[in-house]
Amino acid sequence: MLWACILLPQLALDSVLRERDDPDTPLVLIGGATQRRVLQAVNPAAARLGLRAGQTLMAARALADGFTCVEADPAQVEQVQQLLAAWAYRYSAQVSLHYPRALLLEVGSSLQLFGPWPVLQARLREELDALGLRQRIVLASNPVAARMLANCHDGLALSDADDTRTALAKLPINKVGLPTEASEAFTRMGLRQLGEVLGLPRDALARRFAAGVQLHLDQLLGLRSLGLEFYLPPDRFETRLELNFDVESHQALLFPLRRMINDLAAFLAGRDCGVQRFELHLEHVEGPDTVLKVGLLAAERDATLLFELARGRLEPLRITAPVRNLRLLAADLPAFVPQHQALFDPRAQQAQPWEQLRERLRARLGDEAVQGLRAEADHRPECAWQLASQGASGTLQAAADSRPGWLLAAPLRLSEADVQLLGRAERIESGWWDGGDVRRDYYRIETREGLRGWAYQDLAEPGPLWLQGWFA
Amino acid sequence: MSAGGYAELHCLSNFSFQRGASSADELFKRAREQGYTALAITDECTLAGIVRGWQAAKAHQLRLIVGSEVRLQDGPKLVLLVENLRGYQSLCGLITRARRRAGKGEYQLFAADLEANCEGLLALWIPDEADDANAAQWLRELFGERLYLAVHLHRGADDTTRLARLRTLAAQLGIRAVACGDVHMHSRGRRALQDCMTAVRHHCTITSAGRYLFANGERHLRSLAQLNELYPGDLLEQSQVIAERCHFELSELKYQYPREVVPPGQTPASWLRHLCEQGLPRRWPDGASAEVRQVLDKELALIEELHYESYFLTVHDIVDFARNQGILCQGRGSAANSVVCFVLGITELDPMQHHLLFERFLSRERNEPPDIDVDFEHNRREEVIQYVFRRYGRHRAALTAVVSTYHAAGAVRDVARVLGLPADQVDALAKCCGRWTDRIPDAQRLAEAGFEAQSPSLRRILVLAGDLIGFPRHLSQHPGGFVISEQPLDQLVPVENAAMAERTVIQWDKDDLDMVGLLKVDVLALGMLSALRRCFDLLAQHRGRHLTLATIPSEDPATYAMISRAETIGVFQIESRAQMAMLPRLKPKTFYDLVIEVAIVRPGPIQGDMVHPYLRRRLKQEEVTYPSPALEAVFKRTLGVPLFQEQVMELAMVAADYSPGEADQLRRSMAAWKRHGGLEPHRVRLLEGMLRNGYALAFAERIFEQIKGFGSYGFPESHAASFALLCYASSWLKCHEPAIFTCALVNSWPMGFYSPDQLLQDARRQGIEVRPVDVFYSEWDCTLEPLVGDALAIRLGLRQIRGFTEADASRLQQARQQRPWRDVEDLCLRAELDSRARARLADAGALRGLASDRHQARWQVAAVQAQLPLFADIGSAGEQAVALPRPTVAQDLVADYATLGTTLGPHPLSLLRPRLRALGCRSSAELDSVEHGDAIAVTGLVVGRQRPGTASGVTFVTLEDEAGMVNVVVWRDLAERQRRALVGAQLLKVSGRLEHEKGVRHLIARRLEDVSPLLQGLDVRSRDFH
Repeated sequence: MLWACILLPQLALDSVLRERDDPDTPLVLIGGATQRRVLQAVNPAAARLGLRAGQTLMAARALADGFTCVEADPAQVEQVQQLLAAWAYRYSAQVSLHYPRALLLEVGSSLQLFGPWPVLQARLREELDALGLRQRIVLASNPVAARMLANCHDGLALSDADDTRTALAKLPINKVGLPTEASEAFTRMGLRQLGEVLGLPRDALARRFAAGVQLHLDQLLGLRSLGLEFYLPPDRFETRLELNFDVESHQALLFPLRRMINDLAAFLAGRDCGVQRFELHLEHVEGPDTVLKVGLLAAERDATLLFELARGRLEPLRITAPVRNLRLLAADLPAFVPQHQALFDPRAQQAQPWEQLRERLRARLGDEAVQGLRAEADHRPECAWQLASQGASGTLQAAADSRPGWLLAAPLRLSEADVQLLGRAERIESGWWDGGDVRRDYYRIETREGLRGWAYQDLAEPGPLWLQGWFA
Repeated sequence: MSAGGYAELHCLSNFSFQRGASSADELFKRAREQGYTALAITDECTLAGIVRGWQAAKAHQLRLIVGSEVRLQDGPKLVLLVENLRGYQSLCGLITRARRRAGKGEYQLFAADLEANCEGLLALWIPDEADDANAAQWLRELFGERLYLAVHLHRGADDTTRLARLRTLAAQLGIRAVACGDVHMHSRGRRALQDCMTAVRHHCTITSAGRYLFANGERHLRSLAQLNELYPGDLLEQSQVIAERCHFELSELKYQYPREVVPPGQTPASWLRHLCEQGLPRRWPDGASAEVRQVLDKELALIEELHYESYFLTVHDIVDFARNQGILCQGRGSAANSVVCFVLGITELDPMQHHLLFERFLSRERNEPPDIDVDFEHNRREEVIQYVFRRYGRHRAALTAVVSTYHAAGAVRDVARVLGLPADQVDALAKCCGRWTDRIPDAQRLAEAGFEAQSPSLRRILVLAGDLIGFPRHLSQHPGGFVISEQPLDQLVPVENAAMAERTVIQWDKDDLDMVGLLKVDVLALGMLSALRRCFDLLAQHRGRHLTLATIPSEDPATYAMISRAETIGVFQIESRAQMAMLPRLKPKTFYDLVIEVAIVRPGPIQGDMVHPYLRRRLKQEEVTYPSPALEAVFKRTLGVPLFQEQVMELAMVAADYSPGEADQLRRSMAAWKRHGGLEPHRVRLLEGMLRNGYALAFAERIFEQIKGFGSYGFPESHAASFALLCYASSWLKCHEPAIFTCALVNSWPMGFYSPDQLLQDARRQGIEVRPVDVFYSEWDCTLEPLVGDALAIRLGLRQIRGFTEADASRLQQARQQRPWRDVEDLCLRAELDSRARARLADAGALRGLASDRHQARWQVAAVQAQLPLFADIGSAGEQAVALPRPTVAQDLVADYATLGTTLGPHPLSLLRPRLRALGCRSSAELDSVEHGDAIAVTGLVVGRQRPGTASGVTFVTLEDEAGMVNVVVWRDLAERQRRALVGAQLLKVSGRLEHEKGVRHLIARRLEDVSPLLQGLDVRSRDFH
């Protein structure tokens, strides 16, 4: 077997830089505790200012001005790594993310497909360059050796074990992936290259170092193998049903649809995930498919719910041409978080669960027609009461019955003669921080018609009453 | 009781940290303006702000009611008000208990605490919506007619219903309801700041703080008209009834000195006199002069008159303990002016030999207790602190608090963060403020940092931060200020936990103590005392000579000659660069010259334009003149140049007719004017007085400017004298016993200005032999080994090995005493060294007697395994020797620095010398032959970088090479241009012009070059920007 290691020495930095178009601006990645921010990586422009990874932000600021700080984001790096693994999967069935910032590929079997190593290597580099990722690539006879040689080499290609061993022997002892204590101990014993350590009697080594050290040395030489976990591409669900006859009505599509949805639900349950979005393709005898996209606000996997949704979207559809086949495709399969339900669910048989009703309404009336309400912790009534795409439970700060359930989009000027003030004023002074400071005295009011409302007087500019909402 | 009047009974000051948004002064001023009849300060479970409240009450002539708001862990929220002295003690006790059982800054109070201790306290109950009848009933039973129901009306959603409900509740319980404001700020204008503080307290931004914020700004001291509009008259009236009930005044507190310092049958006065008489022969073995006796009698009479005997006895008791334990100590500062302190052994400086002002120490007119600072050996001070706790008990002794206040940077940081600025912008904005300033950065500074000063959000931040500056932020502990009392301290002031375990802190700071008349003893730590004590021990051990600070041979010409050559590395105070630059010019010849030297190189006198006149006069470049014969007596000892605070006081007395007490007031104002102002009255008075006494206006004006200059840094002569004594003693030791001196310094490290490496290099340059760490000879500390003649060599101690612990060393020493080591394995097993400790020994080269080199040593210790006793004698024979590469000189050097922080081999620069010579660099040894003004280049390890605040942007860099040090001056524009080399280099090449002047040598840098790569990973640590 032949193993290539693609080391991405600046993965975190490159992940940030590839999304920016100002390569000449000094930029540093920072991380660490708030009290002691540390530079994790610097781009070449920043390095020219004397900035180095490992410096504290404070030291860096003492050294230079005018560099951009970007917070290191491990989640983003992880995402890029997954992306890279998927990319590499095209070239090898055995791809491993065993080492951070590095891809291991078994390429012995790939060379027949992609040509000799120099060709494949050039192709890998070209594509990585296009992705904006700096790389070091080494080929060796085992994955551990490839990874460690990449610490000091780039472009090295060693196809047999002897050559690999020769190259390894020249590596500095602190670059071969040994635990720090072990590599420090070797250094302090005057052993600075791996070759010197490999020359020691095995029993003398065993006596002095933990078993892991010998194991690692053996793995480097390919004498023992490292258990690698290989990358598996993410799952997707796809199913196709041939109808055997042309269908032109919704009704006839519902039954096959139900079956496909049931399969999907079973698949989801097996994977312990839910579906957030799926596509239903109606394949016609001629012309392009009609594609029906079904999106949910949250991941679901209940067959009935999913079917209801799909039906809600299908029914308003005008079928323009006979349908020959049905295809269902679900790629967005996030983890499913079930709602807790009481042991004895008090809902009546006919009652729909709220989620189902909500999705149904959205399907029937359109996404924009269904709005949620959200309570924000803000004393200003217009801020506390907000429309949202998704409703959320939250607590209003004031007692529930002291506020109208529905506020007007904009306050209305009231003529004082027409209304009567009830009770004492409630004073609200808040919001200075965003320039929207309010200082108001609120009153419950009653109109001649007996309508009850909520109105305020502006304390900053005393004037008329402004109506902000009606009580039910 | 005036009709319609009101007393606010529930009010937080800014000592309810992150809650109260106004100072006591603002609150009292406002309450007075609004026509309130009294104001309670009821900070949450604390009395830390009560003395300031008392001061404000006096200043604004409004009565203070002492109280505290508390929330019980298992009960309701209450405001406790102090009715009488007993109530005050109850409150202190309750707060102490609640604070002591919780972490720092928190409290836990339980219902049972109140049940045990609520005598003399009134309670205002603040019912929650959820409070049930049980709580009410419990309170009713506990407090009886001392319970009231607090009615807060803040224009909420339904005040009418709320008021009715609370009145019904009160009626049901048969208690009275009272109007309270739950005041968090003095005026509505603080609403934004109060919101900010709330967000800071909850660690969130203001936009996410919604539910924690108050709905409006009503929690301020509202006008009587507004209160009348909101509250029924009887509720307002009730506030005054309660206020009348609370008649406690802080002036009722009676502090008593500890009694055990006086034996039975003696009065404090007779015992103090007795101890002084005992001490006299010790200080004057040949008998005290009549003058001494006269001064002593005068001091004792004054002490007796002011009832301060017990204070002196208490300090004496602590010093006596230290002396018996062999802990070196010295009283410092104003105490040095007193014969009583000298004969009691508190100070070491003969006050009769110096012209010092007793009034500075104690004065009849000043009703303020004396304040004695005593320095102890820095690594044994804890013993003294624990003695004080032991002797007086934790309930009677505690440390003083320090109130940490907001400076500009902290205020900007907190406000900017809660207003949602991104973290790096918060940092950048805070950086604009600089450190320790109390001023908001100006628009230009902000613009330079890329901020738009006019943007509304930035203006909001700056205005709010400006209000926050000076606000207390938290309490921390004073480094060593003790309060000791006869009665339990928690009857005087609440006591809480310090951040350090085993420490307790009272809730008042130094100024509070002064106001209430409590005495404080400062138990401080000083590294040089540790070193000197070690010197004296070593002298006794190796020379059989027993010296003390007081008996070191005085006025030794050889010592002064050494000082004048600026060979003062390691010496107390005069080892800094600025001092060393001054010494060859000043050429001290007497002790008093040292007093001046210590005082002269300070930021203050430079600002006050005084150093140069003194130096010019001393070098006879300028005529010595005096403004008048009367002032000649005052300024003669400093050649007519005012240098000391005492001289300013004397000047005020002699030239402007101040009394001694008034002169001391002037001194205090000098120290405080930058923070609090208040120097203007003195300006008028001084100028008028001096004009009246016939001095020229110009002279008087100049003197006043100098006094202002003193303000920030001014140095008292008595202080300088105490320091000069340590400076002289350490110089004498360095001059006559350099090996002992260096050994003691290294053992006392960390202290002083130089690292052990620099101290040892300095010693070796003086020809002292230094021997390596060796498991056969080394102890934990460095030791001295006799050589031929009376010379001594320094043996490095195991303490020099980084990461090796004292416990490891003591096991090693014990095992070595039984029998010497047979081999590496024998050592590791018998000394029970773990693998980390073994590795440290091997790497440091300490196994040189057992293994051929470091590499072999490390190889061998790695093989040592714990063995069963049965096989103990078999050893590790049988393993074949392995050939390992031998360390090179350069590798040894790197290992030396990595493990010991110093090397006994060649200096790193001597290895590099051929390459440096090729680069055109000279060694520091060659600089003596360079002409003044010549262009040269040198390269050295950067061992120090300093940027003194006064030296207008100059950076001083100290380079070290194999022959010594080179001082480099880097002007501002070069520093800006080559900041990277300046800040980053470990090994620096400097090209520039050499300046020689009066024995002082500087290299004025023209170009810097970072040549650190030549070092190849050598770990040399610089002391930067201290």
